[in-house]
Amino acid sequence: MEALIYASGGVVIVTILAVVYYLTHESKYAYERKFDYGYRVALQPVSGQYEKDLSLDPYATLVTANKEGLDGLDEKEETVPMPTLEELSGGATFGTGTPLSGDLAKVDPSKLYRDDWRAQKPANVGQRFLVFGFATPEYKSDKMAIAWAPDASFNSELAPFDLHLRLVRAPSSVTVQPIDIDLKRQPEGRMELPSYVATSDEARTEGYVFALEATPTSSTAAAVSGGIFRSEWDPTGSYPKFGFVPLLMGTFLITLLAILFASPFAIATAVYLSESAPSRVREWVKPVIELLASVPTVVLGYFGLMLVAPFLQNTLAKAVGMDSGRALLTTSLIMAVLLIPTITSVAEDALRAVPQSMRDGGEALGLTLKERLRKIVLPAAKGGLTAAILLGMARAIGETMIVWILGGGAPLLPTFHGVKDTVGNLMKPVTAAPDTVAREMGNVDFQGVHYGHLFLLGLTLFVLTLVINIVGYRLGRRNAWQS
Amino acid sequence: MIETATSTPVVIGVRGLNVFYGEKQALKNISAEIHEKKVTTLIGPSGCGKSTFLRTLNRMNDRIEGIRIEGDIQIAGEDPYAKGADLLALRRRVGMVFQKPNPFPMTIYENVAMGPKMHYGLRGKQLDEVVEEALREAALWDEVKDDFRKKNGLNLSGGQQQRLCIARMLAVRPEIILMDEPCSALDPISTAKVEELIGQLSGAHTLLVVTHNLQQAERISDYTAFFMFGELVEHGHSKAIFTDPVHRSTQDYVSGRFG
Repeated sequence: MEALIYASGGVVIVTILAVVYYLTHESKYAYERKFDYGYRVALQPVSGQYEKDLSLDPYATLVTANKEGLDGLDEKEETVPMPTLEELSGGATFGTGTPLSGDLAKVDPSKLYRDDWRAQKPANVGQRFLVFGFATPEYKSDKMAIAWAPDASFNSELAPFDLHLRLVRAPSSVTVQPIDIDLKRQPEGRMELPSYVATSDEARTEGYVFALEATPTSSTAAAVSGGIFRSEWDPTGSYPKFGFVPLLMGTFLITLLAILFASPFAIATAVYLSESAPSRVREWVKPVIELLASVPTVVLGYFGLMLVAPFLQNTLAKAVGMDSGRALLTTSLIMAVLLIPTITSVAEDALRAVPQSMRDGGEALGLTLKERLRKIVLPAAKGGLTAAILLGMARAIGETMIVWILGGGAPLLPTFHGVKDTVGNLMKPVTAAPDTVAREMGNVDFQGVHYGHLFLLGLTLFVLTLVINIVGYRLGRRNAWQS
Repeated sequence: MIETATSTPVVIGVRGLNVFYGEKQALKNISAEIHEKKVTTLIGPSGCGKSTFLRTLNRMNDRIEGIRIEGDIQIAGEDPYAKGADLLALRRRVGMVFQKPNPFPMTIYENVAMGPKMHYGLRGKQLDEVVEEALREAALWDEVKDDFRKKNGLNLSGGQQQRLCIARMLAVRPEIILMDEPCSALDPISTAKVEELIGQLSGAHTLLVVTHNLQQAERISDYTAFFMFGELVEHGHSKAIFTDPVHRSTQDYVSGRFG
């Protein structure tokens, strides 16, 4: 018998340690993250059709770092030689190219390659990428412009490196101030330059040469740690973002609302059961409530999806605008249904633990049931009642299925512009941390960066619920009359 | 059989009191008269009904499921069980102290102030005075005067807690005080203090004290009632009960042959 007790205790402890170890160990893959960048640079006429949107300019050079999956076609395109002036004439007014040799003194015309906006030019952090440019003889203005813009969805703020666009060589025939643009400060812009028109194929090699340079500013680990505090979770985008904020915000909102919905009911029920219910009623109701706590959450989830969500959508759609029944409100309501039995049961135990003698004292003093509750029993059971709510919170934080089924799966960052907007948050879809882990874990690259971040998220949840449980446990044990 | 003394008027009169817990009869045809401003102790073996009797007087048994109370009780000329009886007035008139000290989870001041605030609507300075007076009467003032507004009643020692409960009860200015084994959870020094308090209170209050401690009963009381198996066996002057009881079972109990 004793051996059995030790064995089961050991299994529990070993399991917990193993979970912590596994979560920590696997989350290291999050720290193998490489930060990508993507930038477009183009030489343009002073006023032209692509002035506003550089991404449409077919001659803009797109430089990207660490992007995997450049297909073979791109590489081939990259090695298309620069057309001669004759070939360019009548067509392009500007030529830009990529000199493959780093020697700026003599750019070999035969080693010039034409840029194509579809072709991404890979460059690693720490390397310098050169862009070469000139105007063809058709161009008549004495000004031309260098324009730069980040690739769609690339945000240099998030990257742990400095990005600079520098003029490294100007044609000898023009006079120009040195140019060094900090792309973090000025991510998008356009700057006029004196025209350089290449009148012969030889003269092309005299053109402007710009360098795009990325230099690391912080360690990857620091950047990853900083990255998880960002407000965007977009793990599969071309520049993936692993901000936990929207997920934890979803968890927080659902938990908060569910607790707000559930606690009054649960505590009122607990008070009724412990203070005024006849023992026959209590003997029946308490086990039934505890039975409710064992309803599988997937059942609760589909109950919400089939009955509550359509009902809410039909009744609220006109009043406040609810696009889908799968929303924060529905999720929190069903979560509250899940929490009521847990909170009721623990709260009832806490209330019953208040010594009868205290109630007697109140009664002998002439306090009514209501006054005894308000002045004596509830304050005395404060610790236990808080513990009940905290245990409910821990349950809500870890709950996966209900959020997965009812949340709608879109991150929600609430907005508070007036009453209508604030209430409107309830009608928006939501996603939380546990359902994100469950939903995405099946589709990630094994031991990839996304995978690592899901484990890091799991570890965060584990620590969060552990802390809440410990606090709840300690509060539950510490009763005022036992101090 | 009831022996009565006529030195002071009768303040509690009980006639033909029967109390049932479901099928079980806890008190059998009890009749007794309690004299004003005297100390009456209720003695008897465990489960004899003395606590039930005490709690029935101020309707502390009402919440017990399946309880049935028959008979006639008069407290200062009023029947607490009459239809429309003023329960609040009964609580005001009859104070109670319990076996286990039961201060409320709040400061000493709040504990004592709760009764007068509720019953007399006292506020501010008047309330402060009542609280201080009650704490003085309960001989607790000197020990807590420095921090009674901040200190939680639960942080006092057992004996102090019991005196706090007495102060709380006294602050309501009851005429009759019921004490259900007030010293059984206390150490000898605390017990002596509470006994001394009982002596001081008896001049102005009628006290009914349940106790298991026969020496204590002899020391503190003017009258003693001996209960056994739900019956009031003997009730009279303490001196008579302890030295020359009428009944054999009383004789056996007070001489320690059982109990």
